[in-house]
Amino acid sequence: MDAPELFRITGGNPFFVTEAVASASGSIPPTARDAVLARAARLTDEARALLDAVSIDPSHVELWLLEALAGDHVTALEECLTSGMLVERTGILAFRHELARLAIEQSLAPRHRIDLHRRALGALAAPPRGKPDLSRLAHHSEAAGDPEAVMEYAPAAAAHASSVGAHREAEAQYARALRFGTDIPAEARADLLERFAAEGYLTEMRGPAIDALQEALAIHRERGDLLKQGDTLRRLSRFYVCVARTAEARTAAVDAVTILEQIPEGPELARAYSALTAFSMVSSDLDETLTQGTRAIELAERVGDTEALVNALNSVGVVEVDYGIPGGWERIERSLELSLEAELATDVGRAYLNIAALSTVHNDWARADAYIPPGIEYCRERGLEAWLNVLVGARAESELAQGRWTAAADTANEILGLPPSDISGLREGALLVLGLVRARRGDPEYWPLLDEALRLVEADGVLQALTPVAVARAEVRWLEGKTDPIEAETQAAYELAVETGQPHFLGQLAVWRRRAAIGDEIPVDAAEPYRLELLGDWGAAAERWSELGCPYAAALTLAGADEEEPLRRALDELQRLDARPAAAIVARRLRELGVRGVTRGPRPSTAANPAALTAREIDVLRLLADGLRNATIGERLFVSPRTVEHHVSAILGKLGVRSRGQAVAEAGRLGLLQDP
Amino acid sequence: METYLIQRRGGWLAADELHEAARRSTAAGDQMADDVRWLRSYIVAESDGSLGTVCIYQATSPEAIRRHAYAASLPVDEIIAVADTLVVRPDLQPTAI
Repeated sequence: MDAPELFRITGGNPFFVTEAVASASGSIPPTARDAVLARAARLTDEARALLDAVSIDPSHVELWLLEALAGDHVTALEECLTSGMLVERTGILAFRHELARLAIEQSLAPRHRIDLHRRALGALAAPPRGKPDLSRLAHHSEAAGDPEAVMEYAPAAAAHASSVGAHREAEAQYARALRFGTDIPAEARADLLERFAAEGYLTEMRGPAIDALQEALAIHRERGDLLKQGDTLRRLSRFYVCVARTAEARTAAVDAVTILEQIPEGPELARAYSALTAFSMVSSDLDETLTQGTRAIELAERVGDTEALVNALNSVGVVEVDYGIPGGWERIERSLELSLEAELATDVGRAYLNIAALSTVHNDWARADAYIPPGIEYCRERGLEAWLNVLVGARAESELAQGRWTAAADTANEILGLPPSDISGLREGALLVLGLVRARRGDPEYWPLLDEALRLVEADGVLQALTPVAVARAEVRWLEGKTDPIEAETQAAYELAVETGQPHFLGQLAVWRRRAAIGDEIPVDAAEPYRLELLGDWGAAAERWSELGCPYAAALTLAGADEEEPLRRALDELQRLDARPAAAIVARRLRELGVRGVTRGPRPSTAANPAALTAREIDVLRLLADGLRNATIGERLFVSPRTVEHHVSAILGKLGVRSRGQAVAEAGRLGLLQDP
Repeated sequence: METYLIQRRGGWLAADELHEAARRSTAAGDQMADDVRWLRSYIVAESDGSLGTVCIYQATSPEAIRRHAYAASLPVDEIIAVADTLVVRPDLQPTAI
């Protein structure tokens, strides 16, 4: 074989090169697929028949299954293994490469392929050991073109997957059943549609899940089933809220209540009241939330429906906390407790989520740090991906606010690397965190992130979404020394905040507008510590920020002083945080005051790595400090647990300690766990 | 990967300290080869007599540059994104490390 020609055709792709060489044909095959087929062509007929049989299962083929598929040819197994195309491990056969498997499977004549799938179906339905694998049965049912088999296995596979938290798998299986279940009775189809949507609710909440609920709704309408109509509308409302389709959320919730009030009251009506409450909460409508919430709680207690109860308690608690009405946190915590007891996973997730979200808005970082890790753990164990990701986003905001900027950037990047979803606020939040880390450090490439965040929220108009973006962009304008655009950046959000009176959004926006010397009336309802700053008491405001664990916010507040001492304190803190643009602004103000000897100041310790740990070892150490096990660390860093163990050994050696706990303690002492 | 210019001000007092820093930088860079590539550095005499550097790197993000700097115990004073490079004449006698 001509080496340069081989490189030209394969592009150096390792798989393609291997297959081409192994095919040992005179000429180089034009595609990787041809190379695989050429290699397979060298096998005897018996061996090829075995290869074909193994190709039809995406996971693997057990020896007993192989006998059912190609029993006559099992003697040729050795030849297949020697050829290198198949590998065998403890009685299980598989292709060495998935690409090769696909090439062989696709090359099968359709009748032969279907026949193999049918045989697999028969054999897998009665395995010699253990229970039938529903997921594989569903796969072969579809591939064999057997609708009845699909309807027998796919829904069951979905239910099983869902029960163990594999919600993506469950979603895919329900989708398969829906593809084949076009002729089943309408009621059964509606049930499948609702289950499909329920799985989507836990993963990414995209369009197809909502479409499925719409189809289910149409079925219930046609059958005149008021109860199910109302309930489906209630589910739709919940979806719409999460993907910020606000108007539709309201219509669906109102319609649900209207329909269900026509029939004797029960859990469904209580849940519909609760959905209406949730919608009002998301719109920051205090009065409406309290009214609807009271009604929902009362009915839920009367009919004994825990789901409606915890859902409503949660919504009411949120607005109470937001507007400073006592008892709010306790209400949400009670919702969490009851949900945990009753194992209502999505309501547990929602409780953790709302506590995290409220804590971030209220700068209650102690509470955020107390609830986010257990929330993440709970959601991870149950495969509640949507909730998990939102909690991770909250963690990024907590890290940002407390000055742990490297951690914040890493966490934000986790979110930005996720597959696309429609979950409102998730991507925007991460974009803002990463954008602010870069802008605060004076690093490049933050406007693309902030602009994308703005584009994403512009469609929403939901108060909760507008303010964080406006506030972040206002800060960045200020850091750039261009305060003129701040009025335009914050106008829409500010008017909305004044209208609804949400104290924290009001405070944040008013403070930035004041820093830009915009002459608004001071809003009376602004939350602390913003209100103190608006009244001119920057000293008390800064102290409050420090108490809340927000060093950067404290420094920015002090930066508004016109005296040397607070400005110097601000400068020190900003230099410690490596907040270069803000530090430069404060340094300039000091010089304008006539203060001499204002230097760039000490840079954060560069001898921050005295034990000479590698970048990888530092990554592992940070995760050890979070209390993660080797397996979890491996997942985060995309390495095997054994590699993690290797790193841990190296860390112990370099730090001169004997246990992981000691390593974390020593690292803390050396300042290795701080942000650089 | 994008190209960045990194200013590391006044981090060193003598050439041997710089050589040690270069060794650490290479070692850290080897661990992060997919995220960071060190292209070249110019050594700068600061007004207070210390030495600084201006470094040209390719990296996947500013955060990758900072992660590398932390692992190699190097200062980062400013990161600037390079939009384009225009080479008019080659350098004279670059110092091999």
